[in-house]
Amino acid sequence: MPRLMDMGLEKLRNMVLDMAELSQNTVSTSIDAYVQGRDLRDRIYSWSEELRMLQDEVSELAVELIARYQPVASDLRFIKSCMEVAYGFSRFGRYAHDISDVIGIFGDLSSCDRQAVKEAGSQAKDMIRLSIKAFTERDVELAGRLKKMDDVVDNIYLDFVKKSAHEREGNLKCVVSGTLILRYLERIADHATYVGETVPYIVSGERSARK
Amino acid sequence: MTLHLQTEEKQPLSREEILQPHRTLENSKVRTEDLDAWYGNNQVLKKLNIEVREHSVTAIIGPSGCGKSTLIRCLNRMHELVPRARTSGRVMLDGSDIYAKGIDPVTIRRRVGMVFQKPNPFPTMSVYDNVAAGLRLNGERNHSVLDRAVQQSLELAFLWDEVKGDLDKSGASLSGGQQQRLCIARALAVQPEVILMDEPCSALDPTATAKIEELIASIKGNYTVMIVTHNMQQAARVSDFTAFLYLGQLIEYGETTSLFENPVEELTERYLTGKFG
Amino acid sequence: MSNYSMRRFKNKLALWIGALCAALAMIPLVSILYDVVKNGASSLNVDFLTSAPGVIGQAGGGIGPAIQGTLLLVGLTIIMGVPLGVLSGIYLSEFGDNPVGRVIRFLNDVLAEFPSVVIGVVIFTLIVLTFKSFSVIAGALALSIIMLPIITRSTEESLKLVPNSIRDASMALGIRRWRTTLSVVLTTAKSGVVTGILLAIARVAGETAPLVFTILGSQYFFSGLNSPMDALPIRIYRLALLPYPYAQAQGWGAALALTLMVLVVNIGVRLATRGRLYTTRSRA
Repeated sequence: MPRLMDMGLEKLRNMVLDMAELSQNTVSTSIDAYVQGRDLRDRIYSWSEELRMLQDEVSELAVELIARYQPVASDLRFIKSCMEVAYGFSRFGRYAHDISDVIGIFGDLSSCDRQAVKEAGSQAKDMIRLSIKAFTERDVELAGRLKKMDDVVDNIYLDFVKKSAHEREGNLKCVVSGTLILRYLERIADHATYVGETVPYIVSGERSARK
Repeated sequence: MTLHLQTEEKQPLSREEILQPHRTLENSKVRTEDLDAWYGNNQVLKKLNIEVREHSVTAIIGPSGCGKSTLIRCLNRMHELVPRARTSGRVMLDGSDIYAKGIDPVTIRRRVGMVFQKPNPFPTMSVYDNVAAGLRLNGERNHSVLDRAVQQSLELAFLWDEVKGDLDKSGASLSGGQQQRLCIARALAVQPEVILMDEPCSALDPTATAKIEELIASIKGNYTVMIVTHNMQQAARVSDFTAFLYLGQLIEYGETTSLFENPVEELTERYLTGKFG
Repeated sequence: MSNYSMRRFKNKLALWIGALCAALAMIPLVSILYDVVKNGASSLNVDFLTSAPGVIGQAGGGIGPAIQGTLLLVGLTIIMGVPLGVLSGIYLSEFGDNPVGRVIRFLNDVLAEFPSVVIGVVIFTLIVLTFKSFSVIAGALALSIIMLPIITRSTEESLKLVPNSIRDASMALGIRRWRTTLSVVLTTAKSGVVTGILLAIARVAGETAPLVFTILGSQYFFSGLNSPMDALPIRIYRLALLPYPYAQAQGWGAALALTLMVLVVNIGVRLATRGRLYTTRSRA
């Protein structure tokens, strides 16, 4: 027998999944735009704003469900996680916007070496895809793989920064823009990891310690 | 949020630790050891082991007929008053068995008070006489002692201000919520160590319920409270520990916060989220 | 006629039939009271109520010994019958849920349905013949036996109306069982118990047949518990048998006196036991 609360939970889930799709597109588009040297700031900005509004709606619905039904156990954990995940998705949008801003600030970057960003970008995209899949399917094993992937992105970022620090004659524009974008990608990867961490919590109440 | 922090600091007990029979906590007030209870041939409690901490509120939840009320009625030997009801196993109160030979159930009932589902003030007695009944019918005659006990108990039950001018009025003339608080005052007047409450708010409106819950929170520093409730939100609000009973067995027992957020047992999860049966 | 107005009509009809039946039931009561007052009032005066009967066939004399006898008999009966009846009722209600209790309850019901004349004959055989004298004691004994099952039954029923939650509340305070029964349960059921006692008193005050076999009746005032004695029902019976108009008038007067006595006892006891905190519904 469906419970009264189930309708609300289903709605909450759909909203979060909508956000997942949108945030995934936003991040992909912004990375691709950078790699391809296109300026898509306006489009990405409007998407990130939409994500922010969706996050507010998710919070409101979650609070309403808590007030109405006083959920406990797995219901409570799911609602709490939806709020966290929605926040993560809205951050994705924000960082995508920041990435697209870089082009606007620095202008043409086609002469820079974009290998590191390409690598980190595709890794981050994979992580977002994976974290959404793990959340949707409540797949703890899948979510567990995110940590390792996060380390890869972290290392690309750190290597790039270290290399830049010792390089005397690099193109300053390329170094700064590369550092910024890699920094944003690193943050995106972190949030994807957090999204993944909600999966074991929803399933069994397990909380993993954050770094 | 503060509740949560406390839980994490205290290192919640694992399920094995909590359910392990015959384990003694430092501040254990009541402990059952392989407690069985029957009504005739119908066994309602099955080898139940639970340990209740002193000066805490322990909620007992579970579906109807799971043995919640029977459990607390075993703790002050009220169970045996029902015809053909019997028990086996031990119930330790401060470390000694209340079912041991030669123990007078009357002395146990004075140490372990009880509040019932429906407010049941003595209908022919005044407010004052209701509260004084326990002392008076046990031989207390000194007026100043009685006066003091009545006032103190009514104050503890948050009822003094409402009835101090009407102490001679019939107890039955009060509102339902006031009657229930009168019953709590009556139980407190004999200065028990443990207070058992059998769904004390099931007949009351939300305002009266809130008053009783505040009362429970305010007395727990001096008493050990056990409350049977059908209302899970109430258990979550008032209790420090929660026990989930099903078919006469203790399924899960632990700190209220963790039991409601992360129940370990599938059965508890299903009961709490309303996906039962 | 529509369904609704049909139902309303039926409802009204049932109400009126009920009221009519109640009125019919009142007719005998009112007519008896009317006759008793109409025929008896003229005989009532202090002299009549206090003096001994005159010589048969001559006007004058009164029912003093009969009133004295009835008061004495009822008093003795209450002393013997009420405590025993109330205690048996308590036993049956509070502890009688077992084979012994069921046997006692059955015997009690049988006793309640015994014709009172049979009880009179039994006491006559056992007491009067043994001690070779009609006596007040024998009369009170017979009346007690008649009273006992009524009080037992009504006490048991009143106590059973006290909800178990009240007993639980008392026991949970650590109050002992006997204390709970006497101070909580019996107090709560007081009104029902008292009603039962009053009904029983009214019943025995009007008994005639067993008295004929036990106290016999007499012309004289009280002269010892082991001698015959007069009582109002016997006096009424004897006066009614006499062929003289004055005697019949005296009989009506005695009947009115008896009725008034029962009424006074009823009202008096009701007033005395009506506590300030009366909330239990009485059964009668």
